[in-house]
Amino acid sequence: MSELILQTIVNSIYAASYMSLIAVGLVLIFGVMGVINFAHGELYMAGAYTVVALYSGLNLPFFVAVVVGMVFVGLLGLVMEYAFFRALRDNPLGGLIASIGFLLILQTVAVLGFGVRMAHIRPSTQEKIELFDGVLLTHQRLYVIVAAILLLTALYIFLRKTKFGWAMRACAQDTEAAALQGISLNQITRIAMFIGAGLAGVVGALTAPLVSPTPYMGHSIIVTAFIIIVVGGIGQLEGAVVAAILYAFVHTFVTTFFDGVVADMVGLVLMLLVLVVKPTGLFGANDRV
Amino acid sequence: MLLEIKDIHVHYGKIAALKGVSMEVPEDGIVTIIGANGAGKSTTLRAISGLSKISAGEIWFDGERIDALPPEKIVACGIAQVPEGRRVFPDLSVEENLRTGAFLRNDRVEIDHSLEQVFTRFPRLKERRSQWAKTLSGGEQQMVAIGRALMSKPRLLLLDEPSMGLAPVIIQEIVRILEDIVADGVPVVLVEQNAELALSLARYAYVLETGSVSLAGIAEDLHENDHVKKAYLGG
Repeated sequence: MSELILQTIVNSIYAASYMSLIAVGLVLIFGVMGVINFAHGELYMAGAYTVVALYSGLNLPFFVAVVVGMVFVGLLGLVMEYAFFRALRDNPLGGLIASIGFLLILQTVAVLGFGVRMAHIRPSTQEKIELFDGVLLTHQRLYVIVAAILLLTALYIFLRKTKFGWAMRACAQDTEAAALQGISLNQITRIAMFIGAGLAGVVGALTAPLVSPTPYMGHSIIVTAFIIIVVGGIGQLEGAVVAAILYAFVHTFVTTFFDGVVADMVGLVLMLLVLVVKPTGLFGANDRV
Repeated sequence: MLLEIKDIHVHYGKIAALKGVSMEVPEDGIVTIIGANGAGKSTTLRAISGLSKISAGEIWFDGERIDALPPEKIVACGIAQVPEGRRVFPDLSVEENLRTGAFLRNDRVEIDHSLEQVFTRFPRLKERRSQWAKTLSGGEQQMVAIGRALMSKPRLLLLDEPSMGLAPVIIQEIVRILEDIVADGVPVVLVEQNAELALSLARYAYVLETGSVSLAGIAEDLHENDHVKKAYLGG
């Protein structure tokens, strides 16, 4: 029994890692642009299919495919910013609808290119670590955990210690006052979109061998990500990370000891509870949305 | 003239906020804009900074036409604004707020030097440099907003209602700082509801009424003007 609990904790840490990367990207984009990016799950899917194409298809090294996936999806984010969000600034509903349109385009392209069936990818490694007696962590999962720690740390340093980081936070807090400091909103939204999309891409790429990609894999992840950012407080980066950890543990434990459907229900109930008790989310300020 | 505004019009939707405003700001001293709520004082500053687009007219700064430029380019020209309500970034520390003011500058050592200058001007901010700006008092936030504007090394400073919501003793402190800034050679455009204060500080003054300049001239003269006395100085 204690083995099972320890194993579930390890699994929860893995889930928290990829969920927080997805949620943080979504929050970053929302913070700067005020747009809920519905296509975020499809950006994650695009990252996964980059690995399908480059690693499975062209036999390139796994990590080369992952890095290409991150950059490629980051560039997709720039395309979205340039083609839709910039023209629809000050129109959050328009941005949301445009992102749904882009979601459908990405799905269709994936279907045309790879078909609707699951793409099974050979693992890049069979190595695993035995953490405790009978408690295992595969290297494939370890990569995701390490990537989450590195990328979230890098993002933290960027936001706290660099002038573009200050500028990004300033734009998220007061766009007009930021413009009065000489900060170009276009430049900052490009950076935010590249980072936010790139994070979704790298998660898709790293987890591709673990989840067997399909063109529709973005659905479940986006629902999870929405729950997390609502629980964390919309627009709150720290909140997104904490909520991702909370959600990952609850969901993984319920899945293990009951089943997956119950776990999804519990996740939604968790969100409802937070909304009832503290409508702005765990980390949300009371006077700001 | 450092800044010349020629017959500008600004519309918010169908409503005309400015109906042909012209102003001149010389190379030094304070020019003030007084007027009632909704007369177009803030809109004038917003138009200068490029936050509100003008539908007609021209704005010239130091021989360059700036009215079609986006706000960040206008900052690059050397115009900094302390907006109405201070608008500090609440979840940035005091130091981060100040450093965003230097966003367009790349000279690291010089920026650190400017930061020290701001801290010399506002010793209280140095004590609170790592506090979130939202935890400061109104007066301290106004100091952050002014310091942030100074961090861009402006050649012209626009101040929108710096006295708003502050206690008299804090207002005195802000006034002292304002006089310091002007003495250092940075001209100021001051928008104020407190006409008594504004006219005592400024060299020139413009009175705005429903989007037009109704009176303009030397501040001392306007202070003695019957209409100004009646409408803005409480008799």
